[in-house]
Amino acid sequence: MTVFDIAIVGGGPAGLAAAERTLAAGLSTCVIDEQQRPGGQILRQPPAGFSVPGWLSGAPYRKGRALLDKVSDDAKLNWLGGHSVLGITPDPAGEAGFTLALSGTMGGVSEVQAKRVLVAGGCYDMPVALPGWTLPGVMSAGAVQTMVKAQQVLPGQRVVLFGTHPLMIVLAQQIIEAGGQVEAVCFAQSFAQMAKAALAHLPRAITMPAPLIAAAGGMAVLRRAGVQVRYGAPVLRSEGEGLGGVEQVVIAGPKGEEAIACDLAAMCYGFLPQADLVRQVGAGVRWSNPAGGWEAVHDDAMRSTVPGLYVAGETTGVAGSDAAMAEGAIAGLAIAQDAGVLTARDASAAMRGPRSARKAMQGFIDLLRAVGDPRPWLPAASAETLLCRCEDIPAGAVDKAIADALAVGPSFGASAIKLRCRAGMGLCQGRSCEHAVIRRIAAARSCAEEEVDGFRPRFPARSLAIADLLDDAG
Amino acid sequence: MMTSLNSRGETSNFDILIVGGGLVGCASAWHLARLGLKVLVAERGHLNSGASGQNAGSLHFQIERRFLEQGEKAAADGARIVTLNRLAIEEWRGIEHMLGRPLDVAMHGGLMVAETEEQMALLAFKVARENELGLSTQVLDSAQLRERAPSLSPHLAGAAWLADEGHANPRILVDAFAEGAVEQGAQIRTGTALTGLSMARDGTYRAVLSGPDGELRVNTPRVLLASGHWTARLAGLLGLNVPLYAAPLMMSVTDRTEPVLPYLVQHVGARLSMKQTEDGNLLIGGGWPSRLVRRADGTPDLDRPATVEMKNLRANLAVAARVLPGLAQRSLLRTWTGTTCISADQLPIVGEIPAAPGLFVAAGGSLFTLGPVLARLLARTIAEGSPPEELSMFLPRRFAHLDAFAVLP
Repeated sequence: MTVFDIAIVGGGPAGLAAAERTLAAGLSTCVIDEQQRPGGQILRQPPAGFSVPGWLSGAPYRKGRALLDKVSDDAKLNWLGGHSVLGITPDPAGEAGFTLALSGTMGGVSEVQAKRVLVAGGCYDMPVALPGWTLPGVMSAGAVQTMVKAQQVLPGQRVVLFGTHPLMIVLAQQIIEAGGQVEAVCFAQSFAQMAKAALAHLPRAITMPAPLIAAAGGMAVLRRAGVQVRYGAPVLRSEGEGLGGVEQVVIAGPKGEEAIACDLAAMCYGFLPQADLVRQVGAGVRWSNPAGGWEAVHDDAMRSTVPGLYVAGETTGVAGSDAAMAEGAIAGLAIAQDAGVLTARDASAAMRGPRSARKAMQGFIDLLRAVGDPRPWLPAASAETLLCRCEDIPAGAVDKAIADALAVGPSFGASAIKLRCRAGMGLCQGRSCEHAVIRRIAAARSCAEEEVDGFRPRFPARSLAIADLLDDAG
Repeated sequence: MMTSLNSRGETSNFDILIVGGGLVGCASAWHLARLGLKVLVAERGHLNSGASGQNAGSLHFQIERRFLEQGEKAAADGARIVTLNRLAIEEWRGIEHMLGRPLDVAMHGGLMVAETEEQMALLAFKVARENELGLSTQVLDSAQLRERAPSLSPHLAGAAWLADEGHANPRILVDAFAEGAVEQGAQIRTGTALTGLSMARDGTYRAVLSGPDGELRVNTPRVLLASGHWTARLAGLLGLNVPLYAAPLMMSVTDRTEPVLPYLVQHVGARLSMKQTEDGNLLIGGGWPSRLVRRADGTPDLDRPATVEMKNLRANLAVAARVLPGLAQRSLLRTWTGTTCISADQLPIVGEIPAAPGLFVAAGGSLFTLGPVLARLLARTIAEGSPPEELSMFLPRRFAHLDAFAVLP
């Protein structure tokens, strides 16, 4: 079996920026991604057979597209698109360092070996369980965006966006451009609260004016299209009759409950780092603020706590694609240095650029995190609301399991609750409900989320057909 | 119960310290607390976080394949465990009543299948031996098997059938014992590791526990090490040798499906255990090894979870799909690893260590099926001061020669 110098998990901005550096350093490099084509979520490409004039031509995408074009055209790159990484097995005593098990969209399970691994897995929308969230037509903002960007499909015609994250402005703009109608954008927090949070960070954020200008531009587009942007309008539940799907969302308005009719409700309370592979290997993570989830910890050159394993981009905390590109570049340089093809001095000199770029972004990242902080605004699930929708476990059953565990003692984590009530045991491997289970445990134990152990991450990181494992069994 | 400390920060409140919050530890705590002993359980992780919660939940009472594959001597030893298995059947039949709650105990029968005539002959030998010992297994030929379990492959040659076998839910059993023990006055401390253990001149034990509130020093006349594969290491704190060896295994679970398999299925010629849970998932295991994480110097790191061994996973699923063809259409949700342990003679080691009176151990494999009954027998041993006859073949005294050079006060 070929042993790559470096296997990069994730072909988004962080992974591509790292690949650019490792390829330049002459390291044999493979990039593995679930999508057929590189770009990640931010530059999610339409299928190769599609022709989409003006695809993501806006200014915010320009830098990423240049990187995408450069790395995709590099003949030395081993691109393994359409593959999920099921697990990463470290073998510090072995020659390869790591074995990665992959499942392909075309079936079968294969293995890749590499001396070093970079996990740049990105992030995913935080699903928030509120009454009615399992109705057809209630989706995450990211899912809507994927369909618009890559499939050129609008999953609904009359759209309500709700949550706390400013990405809603960008998405509303994309829906309008795609021909949809945005009935309302509902921020749970008030405008004054957003402004206050923003002002505290503005002096540092203003050094990077481009994202602020883009946000202002987005607001202007919405105004021109007559979209109502509501503040202090938390959504309490979504409603619909029978199997027809969502028909309205109900918000707590200034004069009491208020219904807004729609056929698509997209939630956007923030994003969770994709760190299950990192956790599976046993590398250090910490609770990610403000939205939650686990982010990989690293040193100043993106080395994780496991020798030979590197992390970059949203896997280390959600900070946007520009930050991901800078971190990917730093990781790529560190990998080249640790592989012995770049001197410490040259690596350090080359890191100076991306490090200072990354540092300069922090003000804006902090501003965005403060403005979009979902914690005070997460809607309440009722006892019947499904918290784990793979296994159909309602919030009440999770709370009962937590109360039973508390009766024995305060030291228990999410796995203990999973064992008691099956929340997190299903097809999504707990990615959807883990954060909610942890929040509830933390509240019951009166401790910080950070102190609650998450679900024990298991192989395979993505479920797969058993037939795929039998085909190659020989 | 408050823990009162003396001026040196020690507590002498407890009649017994149990190290390990797994099945044997919590079940022993429950029995001993009911017998009136003051019990402290120390668990370094969460309750049920070791092999007790990670095994596949089989209730298997036929002589195991692992005894049959090691020649006639091992088969004869394995046969001796049948006596205990018969007690275990009674224990499981009554356990939900005893603990007053449902535990997903399903004893609808178990099949040990054979694919070849040679394997059928082995089954016949095994069944004859079991019948002599009072276990009512019977041989089914291919047609009888087909009638009993139509979802299994028509290519199977036959099976040994035992009506008492089945499965229970390892996710909830330990909690039931733990909650019952706490109700009976036992104290359970999780996140609390045994970091020091010594014997004083008067023959009592000095234990150091490190937990979330710092160190607790416990003086106690008795200690039970029910710590799975860590038992050997902890006994080592006293310079004692308990011949237990880590056996990292793996289990897999599919998505839920309609009921297709009411029985526990094992294989006489290959490593397999398979069953369907109450919720509809198919659980697949059978003793396929996972891989211990090695440190850079090559030595195994027992404190890190073992990793999945792909070739064994494929082989495990291949055997399972050969026996249950419909399996190929299911999805693999999760494969997990857990480390059990095996003793030098493959039988559990349960009872008092001769060289260290007051020190008890209980570990050594098959301790889901046998755990509840062994905990009951162990509690009797401790309360009565001598072991009941049923424990005689499992007592640590058979390995007393290993402690011939131990130094204790």
